Amino acid sequence: MGYFSRHLPGALRIMIYEKPIFRTMADTALNIEFGDETSIPMNFKILALDSAIAADRPKGLLETNPQVRSLGIVYNPLVTARTRLISALCDLIDSLGKTVKLPSRTVIIPALYNDPWSRECAAAFGVRDNMEYIAEFNHMTPAQVIEAHTACDYWVTGVGFVPGAFMSYAMDPRRRIGAPLYRTPRSWTPARLLNFGGTTSTIYPIRVPGGGQLFGRTPINIFEPEQQNAIFKHGPVLAKAGDRHRYVAISRDEYNDIRAEVEAGSYEYQITEDLFDCADYTAWLESLGEPAEKRDPDSSWSTE
Amino acid sequence: MLEIVAGGLQTTVQDMGRQGGQCLGIPPSGAQDGFALRIANLLVGNSPGGPLIIRDDPGAAGLEITMAGLKLQAKTDLLVAATGADMGATLDGVPVPRWQAFMLRQGQLLAFGMATSGARAYLAVHGGIDVPLYLGSRATHVRGRFGGFNGRALQAGDILPIGQTRADSDTLVGRQLRPELVPSYGGAQEVRVVRGPEAHLFDGASETAFYATAWQLNPKSDRTGMRFIGPELGFRPGRPRYLIEEAGADPSNIVIDPGAPVGTIQVPSGVEPIVLGVDAPSVGGYARIGIVISTDMSIIGQIQPLQHAAFVQISHDDSVAALKQQEALISESSVVS
Repeated sequence: MGYFSRHLPGALRIMIYEKPIFRTMADTALNIEFGDETSIPMNFKILALDSAIAADRPKGLLETNPQVRSLGIVYNPLVTARTRLISALCDLIDSLGKTVKLPSRTVIIPALYNDPWSRECAAAFGVRDNMEYIAEFNHMTPAQVIEAHTACDYWVTGVGFVPGAFMSYAMDPRRRIGAPLYRTPRSWTPARLLNFGGTTSTIYPIRVPGGGQLFGRTPINIFEPEQQNAIFKHGPVLAKAGDRHRYVAISRDEYNDIRAEVEAGSYEYQITEDLFDCADYTAWLESLGEPAEKRDPDSSWSTE
Repeated sequence: MLEIVAGGLQTTVQDMGRQGGQCLGIPPSGAQDGFALRIANLLVGNSPGGPLIIRDDPGAAGLEITMAGLKLQAKTDLLVAATGADMGATLDGVPVPRWQAFMLRQGQLLAFGMATSGARAYLAVHGGIDVPLYLGSRATHVRGRFGGFNGRALQAGDILPIGQTRADSDTLVGRQLRPELVPSYGGAQEVRVVRGPEAHLFDGASETAFYATAWQLNPKSDRTGMRFIGPELGFRPGRPRYLIEEAGADPSNIVIDPGAPVGTIQVPSGVEPIVLGVDAPSVGGYARIGIVISTDMSIIGQIQPLQHAAFVQISHDDSVAALKQQEALISESSVVS
């Protein structure tokens, strides 16, 4: 068994491949696929490899795109051959030890739950109030949904889709809630609406089509192309893979006050940066006996 | 300076796009037909920039004119070249040649009609369109409302600044692309693809059909995605339970994954393959039957609504050879005076 073991010790059996698979994405890209499930511990490995690449960038490698189960790579095939790049990446993968700690920021996201914009948007597309649906789907009341969503950190596994969008997952499996995507996506959604797509919790950064179940709105910008606020000095996108998001419920008055500050460029984003202990977290997950056995890796879907 | 008299269907400022945005959800944007824009820039003495996605230099910014209708007027004498789709461009009512540099004199009106072949025309101006760089590029991303001219498509009354010009630019008049290199956009087009990471999820007959079909471009296509009308594709039976839980019950669902920056062919529910364009999302959740090679994104960008196209599978090595071949063409050796 190598580093990329198919089974983590104890109860934590997840669908991680024995060895990552290098997927050819035509001439200028490849994906390093570690598995085919949504797993925070698997994402730790991907982010560790991403950091290793940043520190020792193989020749010809131009961009990385870390996501929940794979690392996207963009490279210049006129500078390096695919086989040579893969060999350099394999060396980096082999050099990774057990992922113990990762740099990770805690980002506080104020949220107005049960907001009028989510309700209006649902009504405009002729579907029932999404918060009611989410509550029913999770056998909870709307108040319990809010309680659960604000009770633990959400781990950002990757940033992307549209500018500034991200995917995040509840770090406490006992608090995990969610709801299926719309069967027919909406043609528009107002910016900054909180939503669930399965167990993925995210926020629409701009007005976009989408199928997530809407349940709140944040007054803060997660994408600011004008880069007005100091927090966006180095780029227009707030979220970073490896962030921990913590949602805080606010009132309509607080929402209005914060929104005014955000629009004036004076809002102070609440962000703290430290190292996250991945090994501790993984051990804690195991102590919870989580995840419950959901699948049998030996009957896995053949990958090629 | 250039004044827009009519913006047409959708005209945007584009160069060879952004880099480094994949981890931020920021697409490369840039010219959907990079070959046509780069040749236009070469003809008027601008930097053509590097190839889509992997460029070192975004090159000079020009205009991408979609399907029809741009009209503009020069505020000063400018050397320009129009390439790409044939929109019957006229200069004060007189037809102008495509793929050739000419002078647009102060006060003259350059007008583009409906595209008769191809879908996107490009206009390069000696000196380049001098809008501010945003994240290293002048490309417009309309949905994100950034880059280009105020992050939007051009409208009547917009005045576009032009970069530094050389006094002797009129000596470049008449430079043209070698006639044998001018692409033909009519008839059924062939688009080369490398097999995709989830091709094995489709049933064998469907993968065969994918390459055997004369697909038709759905008119509801844009720079985010080009959808193709044709037979429904099926998937192998036996989808495991964990994937249903993780990704959804639809056989085309996969766990969220980075795509290629452009060219990824997703087939949601097996219906209407979508080739992701230069403004496409940086992640996806649908099975990818193939990836269009970067050079052929130019062909994709010139297919008209309801025009036919076929996908041809090639190897990764051949896709790199195609890129090398294209890069050899973006040079003075392709220009005649």
